[in-house]
Amino acid sequence: MDRRTFLSYNAAAAAIPLSGGMLAGLADTASAAARPVAVDFKSDLPAKGSFPKKWICGSSSCMDNEDPAIQVHWYNPHTAILRQNKAYSYEAPFAPLYFGNDRVLLLDEGYVQLRNDYDLRGVVDQCIEDWCARNGRDPSSMELLVAFSHLHDDHYAATNQFADRPNTRYMGLTHEEMVGFWGMTKFPEERVTLDLGGRDILIWGSPGHVVSEFAYYDSYTQILYTGDMFYRGRCYISFWEPWFDSMKRLIDFCDTHPVTHVMGCHVEISRDGEDYAYGMTWQPDEAPVEMTVQQLREAFAFAQTITKPGIYFTGTVFLCNQTRSMTTIDKNPYRYS
Amino acid sequence: MVQSATPTPARPGIAPSPKGRTFPNGNPELGYNPSGVRNTDSAIPLHRSKPVIHDYACEGPAPGNLGFRWTYGSNVAAKNRDPRVQVVQYNEDSFVLRQNVCVHWEAPFTYLLFGNTGALLIDSGATARGDHYPLRETVDAIITRWAQARGRSRIPLTVALTSGEDVAQNQGLVQFAGRRDTVIVPRPLEVMKRFYGLGKSWPSDTGKIDLGDRVIDVIPTPGTHKDGVSFYDPYCDFLFTGDLLFPGKINIGNDRDFIASLERLKAFAAAHPVKWLLGGHVEMMFVPGKYYPRFANYKPYERVLEMAPELIDEAIQYAREVQGRDMMLIRPDFALFNGVSPDQRTQAWPAGVPKINPPHPF
Repeated sequence: MDRRTFLSYNAAAAAIPLSGGMLAGLADTASAAARPVAVDFKSDLPAKGSFPKKWICGSSSCMDNEDPAIQVHWYNPHTAILRQNKAYSYEAPFAPLYFGNDRVLLLDEGYVQLRNDYDLRGVVDQCIEDWCARNGRDPSSMELLVAFSHLHDDHYAATNQFADRPNTRYMGLTHEEMVGFWGMTKFPEERVTLDLGGRDILIWGSPGHVVSEFAYYDSYTQILYTGDMFYRGRCYISFWEPWFDSMKRLIDFCDTHPVTHVMGCHVEISRDGEDYAYGMTWQPDEAPVEMTVQQLREAFAFAQTITKPGIYFTGTVFLCNQTRSMTTIDKNPYRYS
Repeated sequence: MVQSATPTPARPGIAPSPKGRTFPNGNPELGYNPSGVRNTDSAIPLHRSKPVIHDYACEGPAPGNLGFRWTYGSNVAAKNRDPRVQVVQYNEDSFVLRQNVCVHWEAPFTYLLFGNTGALLIDSGATARGDHYPLRETVDAIITRWAQARGRSRIPLTVALTSGEDVAQNQGLVQFAGRRDTVIVPRPLEVMKRFYGLGKSWPSDTGKIDLGDRVIDVIPTPGTHKDGVSFYDPYCDFLFTGDLLFPGKINIGNDRDFIASLERLKAFAAAHPVKWLLGGHVEMMFVPGKYYPRFANYKPYERVLEMAPELIDEAIQYAREVQGRDMMLIRPDFALFNGVSPDQRTQAWPAGVPKINPPHPF
């Protein structure tokens, strides 16, 4: 009991007879007093962190896969990165979970809808509980924001698992709701700041893969999350002009802000640049999910030379310019003449 | 005592029951197994004196049916608990095996045929590991049981592939290495030709595999694979066409060979009775012209496996249309891919075919 609580305890005891409610109130006061100092997300930036050497990446036989449905990797003590198991969905998106002093941000959800198939809710709850235990918080006091990078079902399919979660807000499934969720009035140019409680997330529009897409920049780890518009694999560009403008916006951002990693939602390419075809459930030698700013700049430089629809390899990613979404660079291996 | 359903108190020659009642639903005081009735629960004698010789000559196709739905994987592949090898018995001497879709998305079909002096396994599945895909174990069990029923102690097995180079069909071969009484058809094309006695006459002639009164014809059918062959079973009147013609996405390896092989099949089917064509996979859905993408582990709306022999004509007609052109073409029961990516898509929809979108689960 600190001095302040001690003093108020005496005053309260003098004023009102001790009842159950009163005791509970005292307990609250005591826990508030025991609350540790807020985590400092503003100094000593960028916060150190690391990606795993190798992510869990499926198996040759899906039904023999015994890995967890979701791999949880703590990039640093305040940042978790989740990844769906390839044997649960071939899309296997990545999902960052950013913790602030007041709220938690979950970006993207994975491509299975039902909780009994794929318990994303349980895993996220566990992560929040672990973080709160480490930092002496009450999990119920943390607000959870469930958002997604863009309006595709492999990124929002599991949203409904959070529908009954207390102290939770989740993004709606229309462009208007998405833009409104972040309070934007001028999409895509406007850049808004989300305060997680001492930890700022910068958000702006990044259309091109689809119309409704955002880029997320975490000022603490300085990771730039680019969604499906730029990731280590086949960037399906539905609309070239908006995509090119979005790339320009990313480059401009990198010119003015420090960025440690550029991170996309999927990996569909091996370490030596081999394409893992659409739908594959085993990527034994997959490339890391994180990319450097240099790789982003190279891709943009390459994109400036593109004038026609087609599939281009920039050395880091495939740019599938207005090719229909499932076209791959695969060939029939049994062709003969 | 009387067990009549209608009360007949005054019928002459039949004594009424002591209490004057009848038993419309059977008399419970009678035993369940009256003396003099023989138990005939088994058609198979317990102790045979000599092996059964089955007569494989029959008028028309041998009776049989594919009475079960194929296992079709699950939405979350990791949670699938279906059998790894699904066994469906077509008739007493013919088995159809299917690999679980969640072990390998190709989910190939494997056929096991018995004759009086041997058995033939057509194709071997897409997975080499026996613990993931216990093909050898399953085949051994079927053969053991069949041998008991027929009073045989050893049954030589021949393992033949519709294409030696196809990784969706040749992976299970290693499981049969070193098996007793087993002949594996050798794999490089030249050696295989000689094995079938087609060294000089490939691809115009046909070879034979004799299972004892059930002689399987081997028809060279390159086209999707350089070393493709089809098998004809004169007992069930089946043509096993492998990757050449199946209800799915047919990736043509060489369009001239493909058409020539289909012509050869057509001539063969004209000269022999054919009930069904059985391919190596199913990729089409049961709505016309729609198919599952590659790598799909969940195919709840699959088309049936069997194809009518008339489909050969349709395949020839549309194979001519894609010949020499890099394009894909959709038909209600198959799709042809010539010189394009196996993931190619097209806006062209066949005329007169209803376009139905089945539900998309996730």
